[in-house]
Amino acid sequence: MPKVYNWQLGREVEYLYEGVKPKRQFAVIMNLNKCIACQTCTMACKTTWSSGRGQEYMLWNNVETKPNGFYPLGWDIHLMEKLEEAKVEQVWENGVYKGKTIIEAAPTGERVLGWMPEDLDWANPNIGEDETAEEVDIGTVIDHFPNPIWMFYLPRICNHCSYPACLAACPRKAIYKRQEDGIVLIDPERCEGYQECVRACPYKKPMFNQVVGISQKCIGCFPKVEQGLMPQCVTTCIGRIRLMGFINEPDKIDPENPMDFLVHVKKVALPLYPQTGMQPNVYYIPPITVPIKYLRQMFGPGADNAVETYKRMREGKEPELQALLLLFGSTEFIPHKFKVEGDFVLAFDEKGNELVKVPLTEPIIMRPATDPKLGVTRQDIS
Amino acid sequence: MKRFLMLSFLAFSISYAQDIVSKYIKGQIPPNPESNIWQKATPVKIPLSGQAIVAPMDLNPATKDITVKSLNNGKEIAFLISFKDEKPSYFRTNNTFSDAVALEVPLTPDDSTPITMGGNGKEVIILQWAAYRQNNLQNGYADLPKIEPNYYMDYWYPQAKPPYAWPKDWNNKYALDYTGGHVPYWKDTRNTSVIEFIADGYTTTTWKKHQEAKGLGIYKNGRWYVEIVRPFKVEDTINPIWGPGSKTFIDFAVWQGFYKERDSRKAISYSWIPLIIEGK
Repeated sequence: MPKVYNWQLGREVEYLYEGVKPKRQFAVIMNLNKCIACQTCTMACKTTWSSGRGQEYMLWNNVETKPNGFYPLGWDIHLMEKLEEAKVEQVWENGVYKGKTIIEAAPTGERVLGWMPEDLDWANPNIGEDETAEEVDIGTVIDHFPNPIWMFYLPRICNHCSYPACLAACPRKAIYKRQEDGIVLIDPERCEGYQECVRACPYKKPMFNQVVGISQKCIGCFPKVEQGLMPQCVTTCIGRIRLMGFINEPDKIDPENPMDFLVHVKKVALPLYPQTGMQPNVYYIPPITVPIKYLRQMFGPGADNAVETYKRMREGKEPELQALLLLFGSTEFIPHKFKVEGDFVLAFDEKGNELVKVPLTEPIIMRPATDPKLGVTRQDIS
Repeated sequence: MKRFLMLSFLAFSISYAQDIVSKYIKGQIPPNPESNIWQKATPVKIPLSGQAIVAPMDLNPATKDITVKSLNNGKEIAFLISFKDEKPSYFRTNNTFSDAVALEVPLTPDDSTPITMGGNGKEVIILQWAAYRQNNLQNGYADLPKIEPNYYMDYWYPQAKPPYAWPKDWNNKYALDYTGGHVPYWKDTRNTSVIEFIADGYTTTTWKKHQEAKGLGIYKNGRWYVEIVRPFKVEDTINPIWGPGSKTFIDFAVWQGFYKERDSRKAISYSWIPLIIEGK
């Protein structure tokens, strides 16, 4: 089987096809410390792309509560169970993953170590919403909870992986990775609805349209990306937790590229379950209020550094990082570069044109509580 | 010597099962697997085994053998394929798959054509009947309320009726393709339960735009009886070299949806079977 280099695992991994890198790679960064699960992204995606027949249950973008929420049901627990059944030891040594990926651990006769969700597994996208689990010290009617008390929201789209399991698993070669931006698409003409992509994807992001009879998935809003615009889920995020851009491989890091800065330079944004071996391209700034053991499992060994860096940023010790995070949600155009200039952070497009200039500190103007001219008391003084 | 004989026998048995003779008859071949006309054809029982060349695979598929009959009237050739199936499957939903049966014929009557759906420039045509396509035709389009009778959805746009055409002046190609637009619907609203593919190796099966093959499957007493009919020569498309008084080769595949069989997870007849097509 061909081998490709997976920088997230620090080693070569087996893949069904030779690695052909796209000209540039679509990437999204999501700051989990700020997501409030308002589902605006979910509805923006839903109304834009999956309002057709057979797509009723589909949420190409979903936001689930962790650790007790899932869409589809138990997707990550199944993934962990499958790895365990296959006796895969999820061990990292000095940043190198020593275990097997889901392709390397594929059973005989299969291309990928996968599993199939049942129909009902897709039926409760908000299951576990807001659930935390551990006794609070003020006393409860329940003696104890099975898990410590913490939770966070995990927004998810297709990871547009560098080595997608869906692409490898498709027996019709109906799935392809676009050369121009690395977005992974399903060709509706070639797809025959075998659901091998659904089975293979560790993140369970391809979904079967039972009316039309083909699989469908997040398309990275490629018609927008082609016009230099960020996807719907990014631009509509009211929490301003998302930023889309193009990420470079570690040997071609551009510190002025927002993606590279967050992922490679500051290493504060991490891939989701990198041990699957897909080299996913949605990166998460992990929540700082969650047990580090869980974060290590979910985001790999970089979780400790990411949490510490983010905490430092909150203490004012990472001014450039803090400035860049202010660019999130400040423009609908794809930022290719950023720069901190005085009291402002600026974003630039591919040609170097300024996209937006954001003040590092929001100006606050306090108005007197009374208006002497009109002789009235003001209701809003901010 | 004894070993040589045994090997020779094995080689022979692996190469060819019993010949299938397509009996010549006069008149129309009715699209009815229960028609008395099928009593004129000689049944051939063909053992099947799991496809084991390319992943994904199912080495222990549900279908162990099929019985095949063939008729031709000089213009059309018909096959009646029957197999035991205790759990008929008519729908495709999440992790639910449909029963299907297919036959493949090399474009040229050459048994060196790779049986693995063609290859090395030697193409095959494949005629596949599927229960879900027939169900669409017989019971109406497989819309969600039919698949899930107890389902309720208050978010459903647009409230269109089959064939779910989008406004003609809405020319957003991307939206049409990805919101369940014309491309996928085109595929699932054909007027036949049999689809003809052309292939040149695994992963290459491609729908032919022009389709004239027809079929009908009847499920009775725990068995499927599937009739597939195709004109020897279809205008405006590629045809195999076959016709009355000729000989070619044929191969079969069966998928039982209940057992999650689909794509290359299938039961196949592992060698080309001579197909002798009687003339007038």
